[in-house]
Amino acid sequence: MYASPEALTRLERARGLPAEALGVGLRVPHYRYVFEHAPAVDYFEIISENFLGPGATPRARLARLSASYPVVLHGVGLNLLGHAPLDEDYLDKLARLADEVRAPFVTDHLCWTGAHGVSHHDLLPVPYTQDLVELAAERAAYVQRRLDRPFGLENLSSYVTFVGSTMTEWEFYAAVVRDAGCWSMFDVNNVYVSSQNHGFDPDAYLGAIDFSRVLQVHLAGHAREPNGTIVDTHDQPVADAVWALYARAWALGGPFPTLLEWDANIPPMPDVLAELAKAKEARGT
Amino acid sequence: MRKAPPWLEELQARFGAVLRAPLERATGTLTASPDSYDPITVEATLDGPMTSRSERLAVYNRQYWFRLFGVLHSAFPLVCRLLGYWAFNAHGARYLAAHPPRGWDIDDVADAFASFLEGELDHPSAPEREAIVEAARMDAAFRAVFRAPPVTPFRPSADDAAHLLDARLVASPAVAIVSEHSALADLRRAILRDPSERKLPFPTAWPEVRTFALVRAEGGTGEIPLEAREAELLRLLDVHTVREALGLLERACPPDERAALPSKTELWLAHSVQRGWWSGMLS
Repeated sequence: MYASPEALTRLERARGLPAEALGVGLRVPHYRYVFEHAPAVDYFEIISENFLGPGATPRARLARLSASYPVVLHGVGLNLLGHAPLDEDYLDKLARLADEVRAPFVTDHLCWTGAHGVSHHDLLPVPYTQDLVELAAERAAYVQRRLDRPFGLENLSSYVTFVGSTMTEWEFYAAVVRDAGCWSMFDVNNVYVSSQNHGFDPDAYLGAIDFSRVLQVHLAGHAREPNGTIVDTHDQPVADAVWALYARAWALGGPFPTLLEWDANIPPMPDVLAELAKAKEARGT
Repeated sequence: MRKAPPWLEELQARFGAVLRAPLERATGTLTASPDSYDPITVEATLDGPMTSRSERLAVYNRQYWFRLFGVLHSAFPLVCRLLGYWAFNAHGARYLAAHPPRGWDIDDVADAFASFLEGELDHPSAPEREAIVEAARMDAAFRAVFRAPPVTPFRPSADDAAHLLDARLVASPAVAIVSEHSALADLRRAILRDPSERKLPFPTAWPEVRTFALVRAEGGTGEIPLEAREAELLRLLDVHTVREALGLLERACPPDERAALPSKTELWLAHSVQRGWWSGMLS
């Protein structure tokens, strides 16, 4: 979906990053390399929860990082679609952290992560229904106001779908972002993973995305289990099929900042950067 | 703000129970048991193009356990390699069933594991119990020091110094006093450089215990060796006033050590303050 000039201006302000920026999800094994070599990376993304606690060592590292690079926050613990109300203490901490690193934007997932006092620390799907569009949109709009900066929702990779769904995943995702007036944190690998696990056309998903509301795009590797299920492991290079989907997304709605996540079997930073550089080839630039 | 629809609460209660369903150990690997899942949850989901609805739920079931086992493995690397992953995970599964994660910080789930493990091993026939307990305490100490908040070191004023004897010093959370009866700290360092899952033998016990102060250092932690009496004093100071601690230490010393004790304790106290091992004092 193409954006109007007004929408593009609004989008550039929301991103706070160059439109073609390439970023890396920063993980512990990278710190030494980053601090010693100051690699040419347009921005880093951190997992918010790793820095919300009082620990002095992570905070010191983050202060050093944010002095040299733009840092955006990516959360895994908001629990936007948990049955319980949002955790105000968590939001307080998140808002302080975002201010501390001057994050251009903050993102989390369109999912639930815990219920009845237990946090499952997984990104869990829901049935796609109109009442949950309304719940998620109201909460996402609140989070964006609370953080006082653009808030983006990421689409999930998932392994189950529900009998009770009354719309497709992409209809659900697009409706929540639109009704909330928030932004998309669009994960191309997740679209591919879910398309294979659930048997839908990933291009149908791409076609539903309003790229004038995409803050950034995520890329990552996945693994296929013996029974055919694709698991979003983030433990290997980006699959060819995902690069191809990324190229189609770029043709449809680029330019957009692009970030590579690598969370397990993490290679040295130069290897991560070499993988990230493939994005330029995929874009044809 | 609107409330979630009631059906969502029920769905999440049932789905959560499926996620937390114990993994089966009988086959010699940790295996999900989809046949045991709540039928209402199974019926609420759809088969996929390649797998049944139960097999799809099993992905989440396995992820729940292996993600949390991973947190425990990272927090207790020494215990993990000494017990072996299979035995460690058996303790871990019982621990997680009793202490499921409650907050947004996944690392918090390991908070009570060391004390839980001590309880699990609280049986005279438990092999190598003392060494495992010591290893668990060491792992817990490394974790606590690394996760400690920023601390302003206690620098006593002249007025503080005048009242110090009858005050209790408050230990910095960024310092831990750690004892070892074998080369556990060296082994722990080696384990962190070697990512294998190979079970390791217990290191040979030394004739005497070694104690060190584990402190926060640039980018991680550092170890400062302590004399036995110095370590004893620091532990006493953690729970008694300075005067009481000095008295207890003196009474614990054999007569031939007592003459030199005042000058030594003065030096040890001064060092501990200079090194920032206290964060304040309670009058």
